[in-house]
Amino acid sequence: MSVVRSWTPGRLASVAVLAAAAAISVFPFVWMVIGTTLNPNDVLRGILAPGRELASNWEKATGMYDLPTFLANSLKIALLTVALGLAVNGLAAFGFEKYPSKARDRVFGVLLLTLIIPQIAIVIPMFRMFAFFKLLNTHAAIVLPSIMSVFIIFFMRQNFKMFPTEIMEAARVDGASELSILLRIVLPSMQATFASAAIYLFLGQWNSYLWPLITILGDEMKTLPIAMASMMSAYTIEYGALMIIVCVSVLPVLLLFLTMQKQFVAGLLGSVK
Amino acid sequence: MEQRGLYQRYLNRFGWLCVAPSVFLFSLFMAYPILSSLYYVTRRWKGMANSFIGLGNFARMARDKVFQAALGHNFLFMAVQIPLMVFLALALAALLNQRIKRFRGPLRLALFLPSVTSLVVVSVLFRVLLQANGFLNNVLIGAGAIREPIGWLNDAAWAKVTIILAMTWRWTGYNMVFFLVGMQSIDPEIYEAAEVDGAPRIRQFFRITIPLLVPVILFSAVTSTSGTMQLLDEPNILTWQGGPANATMTAALYIYRQAFFVNADFGYATALSYVVVLISGLFAYIQMRLLGDNARSAR
Amino acid sequence: MRKVPKLLLALALALALAPGLAAAPQKLTVWCWDPNFNVYAMKEAAKLYNKAHPEVAVEVVDMAQDIEAKVISGLQAGGAGLPDIALFQDFRIEQFLSDYPKAFVDLKAQGVDYAKFASYKVGPMSVGKSVYGIPFDTGSTGLWLRTDYIKAAGLDPDAYYGKSLKWSEVIKLGETVKAKTGKPLLSYQSDNFDMLRIVVQSTGGQFFNPDGSLNLRSEAFKKSLALFKELNDKGLLYQVVGWSDWINAINSDQAAGFLNAIWMVGSVKSRPENKGKYMVIPTPLIEGVKGAANASNNGGSSWYVFSSSKNQKLAVDFLKSVWATTNEGTKAFYNEILKGAGAMGTYLPCQGGPNFTANDDFFYKSQPLYKDFAAWMAKVPVLTYTPNYQPMRDAVAHATLNYFQGKIKSIDEAIAAAEAEYKQVMGQ
Repeated sequence: MSVVRSWTPGRLASVAVLAAAAAISVFPFVWMVIGTTLNPNDVLRGILAPGRELASNWEKATGMYDLPTFLANSLKIALLTVALGLAVNGLAAFGFEKYPSKARDRVFGVLLLTLIIPQIAIVIPMFRMFAFFKLLNTHAAIVLPSIMSVFIIFFMRQNFKMFPTEIMEAARVDGASELSILLRIVLPSMQATFASAAIYLFLGQWNSYLWPLITILGDEMKTLPIAMASMMSAYTIEYGALMIIVCVSVLPVLLLFLTMQKQFVAGLLGSVK
Repeated sequence: MEQRGLYQRYLNRFGWLCVAPSVFLFSLFMAYPILSSLYYVTRRWKGMANSFIGLGNFARMARDKVFQAALGHNFLFMAVQIPLMVFLALALAALLNQRIKRFRGPLRLALFLPSVTSLVVVSVLFRVLLQANGFLNNVLIGAGAIREPIGWLNDAAWAKVTIILAMTWRWTGYNMVFFLVGMQSIDPEIYEAAEVDGAPRIRQFFRITIPLLVPVILFSAVTSTSGTMQLLDEPNILTWQGGPANATMTAALYIYRQAFFVNADFGYATALSYVVVLISGLFAYIQMRLLGDNARSAR
Repeated sequence: MRKVPKLLLALALALALAPGLAAAPQKLTVWCWDPNFNVYAMKEAAKLYNKAHPEVAVEVVDMAQDIEAKVISGLQAGGAGLPDIALFQDFRIEQFLSDYPKAFVDLKAQGVDYAKFASYKVGPMSVGKSVYGIPFDTGSTGLWLRTDYIKAAGLDPDAYYGKSLKWSEVIKLGETVKAKTGKPLLSYQSDNFDMLRIVVQSTGGQFFNPDGSLNLRSEAFKKSLALFKELNDKGLLYQVVGWSDWINAINSDQAAGFLNAIWMVGSVKSRPENKGKYMVIPTPLIEGVKGAANASNNGGSSWYVFSSSKNQKLAVDFLKSVWATTNEGTKAFYNEILKGAGAMGTYLPCQGGPNFTANDDFFYKSQPLYKDFAAWMAKVPVLTYTPNYQPMRDAVAHATLNYFQGKIKSIDEAIAAAEAEYKQVMGQ
């Protein structure tokens, strides 16, 4: 069976279909990059040749709009969520899996049950709670509720299952404390799991919209998605500057994806819409 | 013996210590909101004041045609977009899984690319591409496919198509990767046997691939259903606040608007959210049954 | 080795919990919208105030169209995240005053003389003996027409310049322009109520009865809907969704004009290519309705101070000394923002600066349009808003769009649909 050279009509057709689908998938990216160089009217008309407005669009994105602040806010919030999320959820997954107890399993069952609760159903009491604690319009309001993730605990617990308990027993015999077993023995062998979980947490926070939309009031606190959304509902839209902000918001995720494809897909496939 | 018991207790305590931060955050940001919603749901809000109305919020819901229509839109998007997307994703995965080794990597990468965008970005991009005088209309007019611009954002029927288009662009490649992984884990010997029997490829696809993929397909349908039930970003940004004239209003968006946009009617919005939880739970139950049955029959 | 992650964690927590930067003592924050109009006017006001008070920094934030949602959230949180001063639409403020009675500072008690403001502006911001806002602009309307497209259609713009037209004449004009240039006559925001309001108000119609109940079954309303349907069916409306797309349609030459208020001067002037092209004629007249006039009003908003503001005194002083004081500085200020953005203030002692009668060479034949708008304003019937104006506005806009697109077949059906949605959303 010759692998490459037999170009039957059927295979030609399937490559053509795939290429068309790929083009549709990629086109908006190309178009948004070109858009950063165009004036607003040309962005709208969908001109596909680069223009000369990049500098002035950049000036608007950083002058009229505060792109550096939005980016810094998004990065700070997402990285904090990842750091705290890995610590809290990793610890919990470890505890649930490696220290089996009926009581804890019951707790785990309760956690799993709430996976079906949609976010919209809990934002009202959460808003009232953060208002009560005077934490509205702070980044803490965005980070705190997204640290603990039942899904991540579940995902990491599945992976902790694969770590042989015998090694832990052996370490105990050697007199290692439980914490040092976790940090020195278990963690180093779970890097892939943590990477996937980190990507999942990062994406969830980097892209989150509803909760920041509710809790952020001021410009200086805005994240990239909130900044883009409010640009779209501004009284006049600077489309060129908007395209720059869109590109900036897509770029880190794209880089993450291209450099860590395997963990990325593992992290993403775990996520729910 | 005594010492062993002590050691077990120490391990048990360490176990609790590990899960304590998560359980604490869970009670604060999940358990408490769920419990306190029982209070909200019986209240009617007006400004800063609120009063007890018992089940009044549910009575109001029964009369609220806007909300009922919004729920209907959720179901419509599920019924149209999910099958469309699953079909496309399956087809693309099958094509990719053929003998086109040289192009498989780049093509898969390209098809997966939309998954790196947030729903906000998707909404922004499509809202600009689909303007009345925007790119897509210009291309279609240029190609002679249409004469008058299509009201992608302005026409009540087309706006629904717009939402479906954007969702399909965003999620097809994502689901395709699921299916591809599934297809590649099928034992090639099964196909070889079919090849020997002279079964044509298309028949192999329907007789072997699809049946073996059913759990994966179901799983992707499950996640898509729960995502579509929570649809909010796209109708709020892409079709502008569920417009035109509520034509793309969804349940979640309507709840958000009742609680945080038009009014601060926390009581009524909570009652509405109960319906969404109920429906989500129902779907989850059905799907778990389906997945469970399937897992059993697959064994 | 083990200390590092702990340290990082502590650092991370500290970062997360650090509150936003505390406001400097002499800083005022103002929320409003539209950089070409309100933001511009408030920045001019800050400049004037800074002449006497250079130590006060006024930050004017350009909010998006969810400004009211943000205000609601802030009020629900007891003032967290709210600015010192915010701009409210006149049609929206009654809802806030009734839902949040303690949220705003009573400016009458602070010594503002409301006799000096146009009385129709003061009504919506008054509750009992208290008055809460500083009236800002008027929304006197006109029909904005592109003379270049009228010429391209083989017609003479001068035949329309300064004329009070009937809608039937406008439709005839529109049909000619459409036939000859392909351009629809009016850019139209199909999910928005504004244009319908303009037409209904010009007939003297009201949307609410004096007792506050809904009133959509008036002759004026039915005639207006019929007119809109005709404009729609004859292809004279270039339809877009959302305010920004509407502005964009106007500034990318999609139609030969639009129907809206004097405050559009800012947006039209924001595009230099518009120079010399526009003329504004009086709001067209609907025939056969008693009390109809060639004038109407749309929009108009006013400034309010939040009780939660820590700089209440300063905020009140700022508003009072720029917007409600008569001196050379404030006269020059009101005169300047009129020509800069079409912001026609409603503080009577400061009306009558040179720009109120001057020609503006940005417009066709250097039309003295501020004089014209002021003259039309005198004829505008006053509209009652009530706290429920916003839900009515949405319900009517939705029914109108469905009527246009054929989902609703008749005017009576459209009215019934609007009434039903209003009741449902209101929870009645």
